[in-house]
Amino acid sequence: MTMLMTAPQLVESWARIAAEAPAPAARAVDAVKIHGRGNTVVRALDGVTVELEHNRFTAIMGPSGSGKSTLLHCLAGLDTLTSGHVYVGDKDLGDLSERALTRLRRDRLGFIFQAYNLLPTLTAAENITLPLALAGRRADPLWLELVVDVVGLSDRLNHRPSELSGGEQLRVAAARALVSRPEIIFADEPTGSLDSRAGSSLLCFLRRAVDDFGQTIVMVTHDPVAASYADRIVFLADGRVVDEMLEPSVERAVEHMKHLGS
Amino acid sequence: MARLVRAALTHAGRLFGIALAVTLAVGLVSGTFILTDTIASAFQAATVSPNSTSDIVVRATAGFTAQANSLPEREPLPESLLARVAAVPGIQALWPTVQGYAAMIDKAGKSIAPDGLPTIGTSWAPGDVLDAGRAPRPGEVAIDTTTARRYHLHLGDNIRILFQGGEQSFTIAGVLRRSVDVVAATKATFDPDTATHWLGQKGQINAIAVKAQPGSTPAAIRARINAILPPRFEAVTAHQVADEAAQSWTKSLAFLSPALLLLAGVALVVGALLIANTFSILVGQRTRELGLLRALGASPAQLRRLVLAEATAVGLSASLAGIAIGFGAAHGMLALIRGAGLAVPASSVVFRARSALAGVICGVTVTMVAAFLPARRATLVSPVAALNGRETRDDLVRAHRIGPGAAATLTGAVLLAAGSLHALPTIVASAVGAGAILIGLALLLPVLAGPAASLISAPLVRLFGQPASLARQNAVRNPRRTAATAAALMIGIGLVGVIAIVTASMKASATKAVRETLRADLVVMTNGSAGSSGGLPASVAERLRHTPEVGVVSEIRAGQWGLGDATETLLAIDPATVTRMHEVDAASTAAVRRLDDTGVLVRDTVAEHHGWRIGDLVPMTFARTGTRRLPIRGLFSTMAVRTDYVISLESFAANYAQPLTLVVDVKLAKGFTPGTAEANVRKVMSDLPVAKVMDRSQLLASQQAQIDKYLSPVAALLGLSVLIGLLGIANALALSIHERTRELGLLRAVGMARSQLRSMIRCEAVVIAAFGSLLGLGLAVGFGWACVTAVRDLGVTELVLPVGQLGILVGAATAAGLLAAIVPARRAANLQVLDALGDSR
Ligand SMILES: Nc1ncnc2c1ncn2[C@@H]1O[C@H](COP(=O)(O)OP(=O)(O)OP(=O)(O)O)[C@@H](O)[C@H]1O
Ligand SMILES: [Mg+2]
Repeated sequence: MTMLMTAPQLVESWARIAAEAPAPAARAVDAVKIHGRGNTVVRALDGVTVELEHNRFTAIMGPSGSGKSTLLHCLAGLDTLTSGHVYVGDKDLGDLSERALTRLRRDRLGFIFQAYNLLPTLTAAENITLPLALAGRRADPLWLELVVDVVGLSDRLNHRPSELSGGEQLRVAAARALVSRPEIIFADEPTGSLDSRAGSSLLCFLRRAVDDFGQTIVMVTHDPVAASYADRIVFLADGRVVDEMLEPSVERAVEHMKHLGS
Repeated sequence: MARLVRAALTHAGRLFGIALAVTLAVGLVSGTFILTDTIASAFQAATVSPNSTSDIVVRATAGFTAQANSLPEREPLPESLLARVAAVPGIQALWPTVQGYAAMIDKAGKSIAPDGLPTIGTSWAPGDVLDAGRAPRPGEVAIDTTTARRYHLHLGDNIRILFQGGEQSFTIAGVLRRSVDVVAATKATFDPDTATHWLGQKGQINAIAVKAQPGSTPAAIRARINAILPPRFEAVTAHQVADEAAQSWTKSLAFLSPALLLLAGVALVVGALLIANTFSILVGQRTRELGLLRALGASPAQLRRLVLAEATAVGLSASLAGIAIGFGAAHGMLALIRGAGLAVPASSVVFRARSALAGVICGVTVTMVAAFLPARRATLVSPVAALNGRETRDDLVRAHRIGPGAAATLTGAVLLAAGSLHALPTIVASAVGAGAILIGLALLLPVLAGPAASLISAPLVRLFGQPASLARQNAVRNPRRTAATAAALMIGIGLVGVIAIVTASMKASATKAVRETLRADLVVMTNGSAGSSGGLPASVAERLRHTPEVGVVSEIRAGQWGLGDATETLLAIDPATVTRMHEVDAASTAAVRRLDDTGVLVRDTVAEHHGWRIGDLVPMTFARTGTRRLPIRGLFSTMAVRTDYVISLESFAANYAQPLTLVVDVKLAKGFTPGTAEANVRKVMSDLPVAKVMDRSQLLASQQAQIDKYLSPVAALLGLSVLIGLLGIANALALSIHERTRELGLLRAVGMARSQLRSMIRCEAVVIAAFGSLLGLGLAVGFGWACVTAVRDLGVTELVLPVGQLGILVGAATAAGLLAAIVPARRAANLQVLDALGDSR
C-alpha cells in the first residue's frame, strides 16, 4: 500500500484481501470461563463454540449475566479462558504471552466500550491515533481523513473529551477503533448510554464500516434495535450458545429474546 | 451515622494516602523539635548537674560579657582576700581556686584537645566530687570522667601535661565527676602547690569557693560577703556560675539553631504542602461520594460531622505515628551531627510535650482544613452536581496570577539584592525579600508548571515517544498539583544548594587568602580548632625561636574586650614581623609600622562607622586591667587574620592574664635546604603535640575541613527536606494512579505495553522532579549569591557556584524521581486490564 493509491482504492484492496482469507476472523472452541473460587464459582462461559466471519457485523445477545461480555473479553485477549481455545485469525490466544497479547490488541484489534473510551488529557484527534502512536507509527493521513469524515468529527478534532457529548465521544472511540485498520472491532453495548438518535447514528457508522470498508465487527448488545443492524445474531444463555439468526429484524430479535426468558 | 462512618472507612486506599502524608509531615516537624530540645538539654545537663559543693563563688567582676563559646576572662584575686572573706559569719568552709592552661597528652603522644574548647587545669577543691580514686597529691592528677572514658585513661596511668611554662608527667590518682562551673573540653586537677606552681602567679588566686553553714541561706551570705568586698570583686551563687556556663555551652552550638529552626519551618511548609496536595488529588472522588450520600438522604450537617470526625481520626492516628517516626528521625539526625564531629554532650533524646503537641496540632489542623473544604463544597452544591463531580474540577490556572506573582517575585529579588549589598538593613530586607519571592513563586508556579513540563519532557518525548508525551499531558493536566508537588522538592533543593554555594565560596575565599597573602613557610596552630578560647601555650613560640632552622617567628594572639556594652575581639601582633608573614596592602602596612605598645589599629570601615580618626581614643575594657583609653595609631583594610582591632603583643601581655597564642607564623632561616629544614622543625615540635605544624597546603586542607565540619551537618539536615519532597512525589504519583485506574485500563486495552506504562509513570516522576530541582537550583543561585554577598565583609570575598556539585544535586534529585516512581509504576503495570476498566470508583 503506497501513498500513490487513492482512498477508495485503498479500501478496495484491503477489502479484497479480507474477502480472500479463508479462515474466520475469530473463533472460540469449547470456551469455558470460570469466575471466582470456592462456593462463589460462576461458569460464565460453559463450552462456547462460535465462528465470527470476516467482513461481517455480528451481534451477541442474551439475558443479563449470560456471559456476553465475558465472551467478548476472551475473544479480544483482554481475559483468559479456563479451558478451550480462542483464535484471532489462526493465532491461538492461549499460546500468546502478555506482551504478545498487548501487541495483538494494539495492532490487530479495535475496541469500543460502553463508557469511558477516551483519555481525558488527549484531544479527539490524539485519542483517535493513540494505538498508532503507542506502536510508534504514523496514521495514514488519507485514511484518517476519511474515517474522521465518515464519523462526522471533522470540526471536533481539537476538542477534549470533556468538551464532547456522550455520542460524540463514542464516535471518537469508533474512529479510533477503525483508524488502525484492525482485523476485528469489538464493541460492548456501545449504545447503552445513548439516546435513540445518537445510538442510531453510531450504528449506521458501524454498518457503513462493514459495508464500505469491509470491516469485521463483533458487538454485544441488549437492544434488539441495535442488534437488527447486524448481519447475524448469536444468542447466549447461561454461558452457552443457544441459537443464532441471520439477516435479523427488530421484531424477530424481540421475539427470540422473549423466548430466552429474559 | 455509624453506617456512614463504615461507608467512609471502606476506602482504605484513600485514607492510607492521606495518613502517609500526615505521618511524614508530622514526623519531620516533631523530629525537628525533639532534636532542638535534645541538643539544648544535652548542654544544660553537661553543665548544671547539681554536684557543686560550694554555694558561693567570690571572683573579680567581668568587664564585659564574653562571646559565645567562652567565659569572660577575670582578673585574679589577691590571696589576702581569703582571710577577709573567711571572717564573714555563716561560712562553714572556704578554699582558693587556681585555674589555667593544662593540655593532656594521651598515651600515643597526641594532645587531647577536642572540639576547640579550652583545656584547663585547676587546684583541687575540698568539695570536688570523684567518680573513682582519691584527691591528687604532689606528682598526681585527677582528670575529668569524660576525658578518662573517651581516651581510655585509668587510675595509675602516667600522663604528660603541658602548661604555659613547661610540662610535667603525673600519675592519675582520681577521676573527677564532670564539673559544673567551667566550659572546658578537658579538666585536670592538681594539689594546691602544684596548681599554683604551674597555673597561677605567686600571691594570686582565681576565685574563692565558699560553703555556707547548714541553716544559713547562700543568698544571705552572698550579701554579707559582697558588703565587705572591695570594688571590682563580687560574690555570686554557684548556681549562677553554672547557669552562665550552660548558656555559654548552648551558644557554642548557636550556629546550628537557625538551621534547625529553618528546618522546622521547612518541615511545616513541606508537610502542609504534602497534606494539602494529597487532599486536592482526592477531592473529586470525595465530593462524588458525599454527593451520593446526600442523594441518599444524608443531611449537610451530618456530612460535615462525618467528615470532621473522619479527619480528626485520620489526622490524630497519623500524627501519632508521625511522632514515633520523628522520634526515630531525631536519633538519626543527632547521630549525623555527632558523626560530623560536632561535640554534643552525651544525653538521651529529650521528648517534650511541645514536640508532640506541635506535630499533632500541625497534623490534625491541616488535615481538618484540607478535608473540610471539599466537604463544604459538596454540601453547598446540589447533590446531583456533587455526584457528577462537576463542581470539583480544579479551577483552571488563571492568567491573573501572573501579574501579582511576577510583581512579588521581582520586588522580593530587588529587596534581597538591596539587603545583601547593605543598601537596606540586611536582615529585614533579606527576610522580607525572601518571603516575597516565595509568595510570588507560589502564585507563579502553577502558571509555569505547564510550559516547564513541556520543555522538560521534550527530550523525553524524543526518547520514549508516546508514553513520555502522555506523561507530559498528565503533568500539565493539573498544574496546581504538579506545582505543589514540585514546590516541596524545590524548597529542599534550594536550601541544600545555598549551603553548597556558601561552602564553596568560603573555601575559595580561604584558599585565595592563603595563596595570595601568606608568606610564612610554616604556620603553627593549636590542634583543636582555633578560637578565642583554645590556643597554644607560650612554650611553642619559645621552642621555635630556639630552633636553628627557624629564621623569623611571629606570634598572633587573640582576646576579647568590652566596648561599652558590646564585646569585641582583637588581635595582638608583632609589628616588626607580621608583615613579613602576611602580605597586606600598602596603607595597612604603613599602619602596622606605626603601631606601638600603647596604641591600637582599627579597621577603616569600623572607624568610619564609629566616626573615629587617627589619634582618637578608644575606650577599651580589659578583664584584667579595666577600662583604658588607647589612641588610634592607624587604620587598616587588610590584616593577617580577619579582625577589626589590632594591638601589639606587648600591650596584650600587659592587659591579658592568659597569653594563649592563636597562630605562630614561621619563616625558615636561609642557608638550609627547605625540605630538611621543615622536617627538622617538625621533629623539634613533635613532642609538643598541642601544636600542629602546617605548610601552606596543610593549612588549606585544615581550613577546608573546618568549613566542612560546620556546614555539612547543616546541609545534611536540610537534605532531609529533599527526601520528604521526593516522598511527596511518590505519594502524589501513587494517588493519581489510584485516581486514574480506568484510564490506565483503557490504555492497556488499546495496546499500551506494561513497559510503556511503566515508562509513562517514570517520565511523569522525572518531569516533576526535574521541575522542582531546577526551580530549587534557581532559588539556590539567587539566595546563595545574596548570602555570600551579605557576608563579603567577613572575608567571604569569592562567589563560587560549585557547578559540579549543583549539577549532581539536581541530577540526583531528578534520578531519585525515578526511585520515587518505582512502586507506583509497578502497581500501575500490574493492574489487570479488566479490573481497571471495570473499576467504577
Ligand atoms: N470478575 C468476575 N468475578 C466473578 N464473577 C463474574 C466476573 N465477571 C463476570 N462474572 C459473572 O459471570 C457471569 C457472566 O458475566 P458477563 O459480564 O459476561 O454477563 P453479561 O452477559 O455481559 O451480562 P450483562 O448483560 O449484565 O452485561 C455473571 O453471572 C457474572 O456475575
Ligand atoms: Mg456485559
